[in-house]
Amino acid sequence: MKVTRREFIQVTGATAAGLAVSGLGFDLKPVKAHAQMLKTKYAKETTTICCYCAVGCGAIVHTSKRGDGRVINIEGDPDHVINRGSLCSKGASLKQLTENENRLTEPMYRAPYSKEWKQVSWDWALSKIAKRVKETRDATFKVKNKKGQVVNRTEGIVSVGSSALDNEECWIYQALMRSLGLVYVEHQARI
Amino acid sequence: MSKSFFIDTTLCTACRACQVACKQWHDLPAEETENRGTYENPADLSFDTYKLVRMREEVIGGKLQWLFFPEQCRHCAEAPCLDTAGDETAVYKDAATGAIIFTANTKGLNVDEIIESCPYNIPRKGPDGTLAKCDMCLDRVHNGLLPACVKTCPTGAMNFGERSEMVALAKSRLSTVKKTNPKAALLDPDDVNVIYLVTEKPSLYHEFAVASNTAFDITRQVALRRMFKPLTNIVSRLL
Amino acid sequence: MTNHWIDIKNSDCILIMGSNAAENHPISFKYVTEAQQKGAKLISVDPRFTRTSSKADIYTALRSGTDIAFLGGMIKYLLDNKLYNKEYIANYTNAPFIVGKSFKFNKGLFSGYEAAKKGQGPALGKYDKKKWGFEMDKNGVPKMDRSLKNSRSVFQLLKKHYKRYNTKLVSKITGTSREDLLKVYKTYAATGARGKAGTIMYAMGWTQHTVGTQNIRTMAMIQLLLGNMGVAGGGVNALRGESNVQGSTDHCLLWHIWPGYLKTPRASNVSLAAYNKKWTPKSNDPLSANWWQNYPKYSVSLLKSFFGEKATKKNDFGYDWLPKVDDGKAYSWFDLFDAMYKGTVKGFFAWGMNPACSGSNANKNRKAMAKLDWMVNVNLFDNETGSFWKGPGVNPSKIKTEVFMLPACTSVEKEGSITNSGRWMQWRYQGPKPLGNSLSDGDIIMELGNKIKAAYRKSGVSSEAIRNLKWDYLTHGEYDPHKVAKEINGYYLEGPKKGKLVESFGKLKADGSTSSANWLYCHSYTEKGNMSARRSKKDAPNNIGLYPEFAWCWPVNRRIIYNRASVDLKGQPWDKKDWVVKFTGDVKDGKYVSKKWIGDVPDGGWYPLENPDGSKRKDAKYAFIMRKHGHAQIFGPGRADGPFPEHYEPLESPIAKNLMNPQRMNPTAVVYTTDADAYATNSAKYPYVCSTYRVSEHWQTGLMTRPQAWLLELQPQVFVEMSEELAKIRKIKNGERVKVASARGSLECTAIVTKRFKPFKIAGKTVHQVGVPWNFGWRWPESGKEESANLLTPPTGDPNTRIPETKAFMVNIKKI
Repeated sequence: MKVTRREFIQVTGATAAGLAVSGLGFDLKPVKAHAQMLKTKYAKETTTICCYCAVGCGAIVHTSKRGDGRVINIEGDPDHVINRGSLCSKGASLKQLTENENRLTEPMYRAPYSKEWKQVSWDWALSKIAKRVKETRDATFKVKNKKGQVVNRTEGIVSVGSSALDNEECWIYQALMRSLGLVYVEHQARI
Repeated sequence: MSKSFFIDTTLCTACRACQVACKQWHDLPAEETENRGTYENPADLSFDTYKLVRMREEVIGGKLQWLFFPEQCRHCAEAPCLDTAGDETAVYKDAATGAIIFTANTKGLNVDEIIESCPYNIPRKGPDGTLAKCDMCLDRVHNGLLPACVKTCPTGAMNFGERSEMVALAKSRLSTVKKTNPKAALLDPDDVNVIYLVTEKPSLYHEFAVASNTAFDITRQVALRRMFKPLTNIVSRLL
Repeated sequence: MTNHWIDIKNSDCILIMGSNAAENHPISFKYVTEAQQKGAKLISVDPRFTRTSSKADIYTALRSGTDIAFLGGMIKYLLDNKLYNKEYIANYTNAPFIVGKSFKFNKGLFSGYEAAKKGQGPALGKYDKKKWGFEMDKNGVPKMDRSLKNSRSVFQLLKKHYKRYNTKLVSKITGTSREDLLKVYKTYAATGARGKAGTIMYAMGWTQHTVGTQNIRTMAMIQLLLGNMGVAGGGVNALRGESNVQGSTDHCLLWHIWPGYLKTPRASNVSLAAYNKKWTPKSNDPLSANWWQNYPKYSVSLLKSFFGEKATKKNDFGYDWLPKVDDGKAYSWFDLFDAMYKGTVKGFFAWGMNPACSGSNANKNRKAMAKLDWMVNVNLFDNETGSFWKGPGVNPSKIKTEVFMLPACTSVEKEGSITNSGRWMQWRYQGPKPLGNSLSDGDIIMELGNKIKAAYRKSGVSSEAIRNLKWDYLTHGEYDPHKVAKEINGYYLEGPKKGKLVESFGKLKADGSTSSANWLYCHSYTEKGNMSARRSKKDAPNNIGLYPEFAWCWPVNRRIIYNRASVDLKGQPWDKKDWVVKFTGDVKDGKYVSKKWIGDVPDGGWYPLENPDGSKRKDAKYAFIMRKHGHAQIFGPGRADGPFPEHYEPLESPIAKNLMNPQRMNPTAVVYTTDADAYATNSAKYPYVCSTYRVSEHWQTGLMTRPQAWLLELQPQVFVEMSEELAKIRKIKNGERVKVASARGSLECTAIVTKRFKPFKIAGKTVHQVGVPWNFGWRWPESGKEESANLLTPPTGDPNTRIPETKAFMVNIKKI
């Protein structure tokens, strides 16, 4: 993708690097000789659309090109015609959604009657889920209803979600669920 | 040329994006808070909170109003904190912008006196005795960006630019708002680089909305090297 | 939204009712503010004074659940004072249609009502809608009286229906003063003048009622009466709450519809031909575009996307393989949790969703989960659903459910598109890689699909759909959103353009020669490229903020739908300044001789209905092209609860009787009846009206905001807001913890005693209302003390949508 910095600069007449020491925790020797650099200067810039409400605000994501390659900063995209650089409190906290120590980073499994989660591999989890889906589907599948009409469905499996998915993900998701014969497919628009 | 903020409280919806954007840009930690029977949180500015939207419910002339006041350092033209500190490596004025900047060298100074000198009750002490407050996002401003709080503001309540432009904008908004709100006024516009437009008595928004608020402890005023003028004179002098 | 976010700036009067835009859609206020600065009036109607109300020119309160009474009063005001746009309603709406004699309304019931017999629920009753049909002429075209004088015309029936909605009665029901009612009516009615536009911004404050659909219809009727549909700064604008709830609805992650709002086949649709015949509307009026006549083109193209080459004419394009629902049965959210509670559901996917907190009567849903064999929960964070087995009061050693918790990555860690409330499809890019071992939902779905397909390769029950499902969306072993986006747009499968992307849905065919996984999005990713990734800031010639080359919008990049109603019969805009489309074809001898529309993409490019000399054209089409008869529906005979909205009380209400008619509540609403579905109406035990809502700083159940320290700092705890008057009665101090309870559950909240709630006077009785945000749940914050407001909410919903009535129910409050 191509995102230029063309209008990222908003204030007129600013000099490139001034004499500034902001915040705290910096070594101040020599105090005014330290020309502060923007933390985002060498970061990769990508555009995104906020994942909260449906206004569809644009944001710029600054990702470190070094080290762990994580997000340094996310702020409003001034070239976006809807929000023109602004974001609300939730949008302004987008970085903390991604760089968050509370996030799930491994598949987890809870066995029947167990008191705890167990970390598992993706392959193990998805193979086991596929097995459960097949068992349940095949046991509850109805080719015909009481009237004898062909219905090819299961009412033994339900799926809810998800307005949190991208359009393309939504499409393959519903295709997979419908191919399995699910009729109980519902999502956020219903509640 | 110095830079100024113009904060038009008539347009503020208290979405509080400015509060979060400030923390986001400065990588400031959240505080542990509790609901105190109000949406306003944290309870006060702190070493980790430079910006705080004050929210007050007031019935004025029989009509309920929810008054919002995004509080922050005013970056005074003649800053009492700077004079009180008396150490340019600790508190200095950035020549290019007029921003009043606190550094780590505030540690070890008589910080209580510096805090006491502020007519707006802004600086806050950290656990190790250093002082912190709004730094005008000086790194951003020097690199041509708007301060984080201004950039994120959806409605135009927060504005930033050359002082002359902000003064002009403040005047223009004041004259518009006055048509429907005769009590509208700019707060301490000649003395600060963060000019607020309000439509009600300043103390209704926040105890320290203006320097000369009567709720203000007299000792604090005495500590000022330069006395701020009484409210009646300052609010509309720009007109 | 019929219009879009930026367009709000073009409005002359913005009514925010049933939503709280400043808090829940804060960036919308950029445009509300801009409109206000240009002189627009902002009206906020809400039981509670909100951050939206704080910016309003007019604020007034109404009791939750009385919106139809409030708005019905506005309809009466418009009709009494002749403030409607007569030319507009006579030509663009069904106001002139003649309704058949079997239509009647008496004592709160329309003709054709049959109450449910015992055990028949959950619907309390249903109507035979055939009783509400229009009279047809000999050609099968509805009879019309464009003078609107016929006593059986929709217009005259409308007058009769709302005659009862006088301000005195409306005030008694809503608790809004008559002065305030008139102030709102008068201000909003001013938008009926030519060149003026009024808009409505609504959200769940209107949908989450047993009369939710009719709340919105009442406003849509007002918008039609005032000529506000199709114009800049007008429309009916649902402020949708999730970033891709629009796109996921368009792709129909819902039981009753297939991608592109096609119908889920009923069991009685025994073949593709029968299915297409059933759902393709027929109009005998040559002036009606009846766009849905193209239905078979879209359904067959969808099946081609489902099954690719495996879908052939011979096998009905695989139609039989896909699941069919029983006629007359609903499979909605409420129904699926009811089935789960009764133990018939064994397996459960909760994909980016947290039903332990989000569903009404959440205690029932949580108990239902314990009856499952297995659950798959895909999310960013551990949550109240995936960890329901260790929630408050739950003993894990008693819960058999096997749970798989799969870590999804965040939206900035993957690539793909989402569609905003204004129907704009926007592409986003990958910043960092997924954190840890998290994966994109796309990768999870693809891999799960591969494993399931592999499992069915050897054996399995009726597995044609699974085995034949086209599943080729990987590139170098990874999910490729571009491949899916292209499939959604659709391809030519035969002929000279074989393998090329289809330009727009006008080119789709019903013979299997095209594919399109969603006809509405056909035009979004063409040989010209990914239209949703466009970034041009150039506005259209009308300069009203359409930005036609920024992103892409359905349908066919039309930014304001129903825009043919923004012009008069000759194709000239009602509003000369902020016009949307304009006909600029050549004129010869008073007749149009060439076709040209400028501005937005017009709703069909046909000639206007009249020539400049006033003569009628035969090659024109009516303005509302998606309606069978080409006219917007002031009379809506398709609704489950009647063709005209009528005020009914919520399931749980503070008064014993409906003051408008003898039917206490919507006689067709759904009410669930297991032992977990308790309710109590007009009961001393639960005397206070309660509504749920959200705060600006959290999002939905809070699962994507509560684990974030910065947002939790701003709103750390669940609260209940109440008036100073009620706090005094209950001896509650501001900031104290209190217990809020309904017939279904209770939770601990911090009391916010506020001037922003005021008691209502309802039929001479003082009625208190309180409110609790539903953004909380026990998992985050980690104190475990902040619970979901949906523990309180009732087991009832709208008869059309089955959306729950979480905006009006009854509670009690006690000091702890």
